[in-house]
Amino acid sequence: MDSPATDGALIKCVVWDIDNTLLDGVYLESGEQPPPANPVLLGVLRELAGRGILQAVASKNPPAAAGYLTELAGLDFAAVECGWDAKPDALGRIAAAVGLVEAEMAFVDDDMLERAEVAAALPSVLVLTPADAADAASWPQFSPPVVTAEARRRGQLYAERSRRQAAASQFGGSRVDFLRHVGTRVTIAPAAAADLPRLHELSVRTHQLNSSGEPLTEGELGNLLASAGPDVTTVRLADDFGDDGLVGAAVLVRDPRDQAATVPLVMMSCRALGRGTLDALLAWLCRAAAASGAAGLLVPCRLTDRNVPFRLALAAAGFRAEPGPPAPDGRVVFSRALAGDLPAVPDYVVTASRP
Amino acid sequence: MTATADQVAGELRDLLAEVTGRDELHAIPPETVLFGGGVGLDSLAGTLLLRQVQRRYGVDVAAEDLNLDSLETLGTLAAFIAARVGGGPASP
Repeated sequence: MDSPATDGALIKCVVWDIDNTLLDGVYLESGEQPPPANPVLLGVLRELAGRGILQAVASKNPPAAAGYLTELAGLDFAAVECGWDAKPDALGRIAAAVGLVEAEMAFVDDDMLERAEVAAALPSVLVLTPADAADAASWPQFSPPVVTAEARRRGQLYAERSRRQAAASQFGGSRVDFLRHVGTRVTIAPAAAADLPRLHELSVRTHQLNSSGEPLTEGELGNLLASAGPDVTTVRLADDFGDDGLVGAAVLVRDPRDQAATVPLVMMSCRALGRGTLDALLAWLCRAAAASGAAGLLVPCRLTDRNVPFRLALAAAGFRAEPGPPAPDGRVVFSRALAGDLPAVPDYVVTASRP
Repeated sequence: MTATADQVAGELRDLLAEVTGRDELHAIPPETVLFGGGVGLDSLAGTLLLRQVQRRYGVDVAAEDLNLDSLETLGTLAAFIAARVGGGPASP
C-alpha cells in the first residue's frame, strides 16, 4: 500500500512478528534447523535500524526464537516479547519498555487476525502486512531527518538498558546507591560545533524531559550555538553497562543587568530517566548560575501533557511556578532563589568547566 | 465511594514501595517528604506514581496542580487525592 497520509508522525519503533514474517516459515515447526530469514524483510529491518529506528519482536514463540533472529540480524532488539499473550498486550509492554507512545510504533505481522486485533486495541499503531513493510523504507514515516551515531546505536542502547533494569531490580539499596554501584558517569561540558546534529535530534525527539515543548530547527540551534556557544551545556551519560553518549543539553543565559539567570532550554533523552542525570544537570545549573552572581534561576517551561517528568524534576530541585495562569503559548516560568541550600551535584558528575 | 486521607495514604505507601522498589516505604509517617531526603522521589518514580494515582483514583495530579505542591509529603498527596475522590455522596 501507499504510505498512509494521515499524518507525518515518525515511526520510532517497529515491532515484528517472527513466523512467516521475519522468518520464511514457522520456528517451532521446522525441526532441528529453524527456517531462514526472509531476506527482503531482514534487509528492511537492518536499514531501519541504521536510521535509528528501534526494532522489536512480538511473537508467539519461546524466547529462543528471538535469540535466533538476533544472530541472523546481527543486531540487538530493543525489546523482545516472546510468549502466548495477545499481541496488543505485548505491544503495550514494548511501548512502556522503550518509552514511546502508540503513534510512534509500527507493527508487522502476516496474520490478518493478529493485525486486526492490534488495529482494534491500539488504533494509533501503524499496522502493516509483510508486503507493506517490504516497501516501508521509502516512506516518510520511516525517514528521520537526522541520524546520528547515538541514533544508530539506539537498539543496542535499549538492550543495555534492559540489562541495567534487570540489575536494578536485583539491587537492594537506594537508587543513588545503585547509580554509584554501576559506575554511573555524568559528564557536563560546553557544547562544541560537532554536537549540533545530535542537539537537533534531541530537540526533535525529546518530549518527556523538554522544557520548550516544541522542536528547534537545526538553523535555530546553529544560531544558538554561534551566539551563545559557551552558554550551551551538554550532558553525556555512561555506566558499566554502556555509553549512552550525548543525552541532554541546557542553555544558561546570564545577563549581568538582571538579578536572575535564565535557562531558556533544557532537553534530555528519556533514556536518562531514572538515572540521576536531569537532577544532576539542574543542580549544576543552579550552582553555575549562583557562581555567576545571579540571585535566582528562571526556567520557562511550556506545559504539555508529556513533559510531566520534567516538571517533577523541577519540583524536586526546588523550583516553583510563578503565580497566575500560563502565558497564551502555554509557557509558565518556574523559578527558585539561589540563596541557602542549593541542590547537591552528585559525586558521579564530572564537569569540564566547574561552576 | 468515599475515601479518607488515611485510607489513601495507606494505598500510596504501597504504590511508593512498588515504584521505588523500597519495601521500607510501607511504614513511613504522613509527614515524610516525597522529594529529596525522605522518599527521594525522582522524575521517573514520580511519573510512575502519578500514572498509578490516575489509574486508581481518576485524579490527574499533574493537570490539577501546576506546581506539584501536593507532592510535598505523603500526607499532602493523600489529602489532595481524598478531597477529589471523597467529595461525592457515599455509596448506599
